[in-house]
Amino acid sequence: MLTAVSTEHLARMGEQVVSAVAGDVLACVGLGSCIGLALIDRRADVAGLAHIMLPEAPAGAPASGKHADVAVPALLDAVLAAGGARHRLDAVIVGGAAMFSFGGSTGSPAQEIGRRNEEAVRRLLTAQRLHLRAEAVGGTRGRTMRVRIGQGVVTVKEAGGRESVLFGSADAAGLRRAA
Amino acid sequence: MSTQPSPYTELQLDALRELANIGSGQAAAALSSLLGKAVDISVPTAALLPLNDAVAVAGEPDDERHGILVPIVGDMLASVVLLVPDADAHTLTAVYGLDPHSADGRSMLQEVGNIVGTSYINVLAQMTGMALEPSPPQVTHDMLGAILASVLLGRGSDLEVALILDSDLRVEEEECSISFLLLPDTGGVDDLLTRIGL
Repeated sequence: MLTAVSTEHLARMGEQVVSAVAGDVLACVGLGSCIGLALIDRRADVAGLAHIMLPEAPAGAPASGKHADVAVPALLDAVLAAGGARHRLDAVIVGGAAMFSFGGSTGSPAQEIGRRNEEAVRRLLTAQRLHLRAEAVGGTRGRTMRVRIGQGVVTVKEAGGRESVLFGSADAAGLRRAA
Repeated sequence: MSTQPSPYTELQLDALRELANIGSGQAAAALSSLLGKAVDISVPTAALLPLNDAVAVAGEPDDERHGILVPIVGDMLASVVLLVPDADAHTLTAVYGLDPHSADGRSMLQEVGNIVGTSYINVLAQMTGMALEPSPPQVTHDMLGAILASVLLGRGSDLEVALILDSDLRVEEEECSISFLLLPDTGGVDDLLTRIGL
């Protein structure tokens, strides 16, 4: 088996990473209530990954990449600028878990933040006419997400679990397909 | 770690450190009587960190930890979080002949969170005159980054930075160490400082 020298680009909270280098890996490590959003052009070997923390900026506050309403169009722009074609983009989302409940605390929103993040990202993908091809969202467990440029594969791993393929060809990645 | 221009003075951070010191002293005493063993505490740190540094304060984001969350409600919204590596959790629950991954073991970890969190919060409430009430503890075993990010963002607050009051509890005669964090929600720190006249 050939082993390519690959670089892992980590998207920390509120950040996005993009690569057009086959063999590169984009990663969000330890997603809880946050959402990792990947936009992938498998033909052009281009992909981007955003680590989204909150649905939208509160009124009057500056919006940034941590908010879905800014991060989704910003990631799209960056992937197109790196050579991706809009009509070929596949979207994959991971995260949005509710690991803890803050219900009942004063001033807390009725809905879990993970769920609100997920709904915001779905809505924004629809608004941009992007196709959501695969997802591993909700539940109570944290997840790590990796996008392998060139193979066009997205993997997901829970704590204590094994890395499994969520999107793309398991054979290409030499990995087990998610159940 | 990158440094952020702190909105808090050294005097204020010292006062927060002192609150954490007295609080964790009380927490250590409570844990000691639960376990029947001496418990040492480290000198607490008080640091205001950008969120990405805050979630990295106790290790790598994919390091697995037992996380015990005690949400605090009342005059200040905050979270008390205990982080225990798996080996240390085994040592801790073995005191009562339990496994941390069993239902009884998780229930014991919950009780540790309850006793430690409540005694810490009671001290804080007494010293500040705030009404603070711990909610029932919740236990998970998961990735550190996911635990801390979920706690910091769990109430949907738009935080830029997080104040972390951090101390270590060490059970004597056992290889067992617990990271103990107090994470006030937005505005909580200012309320805390106002109450102690700073």
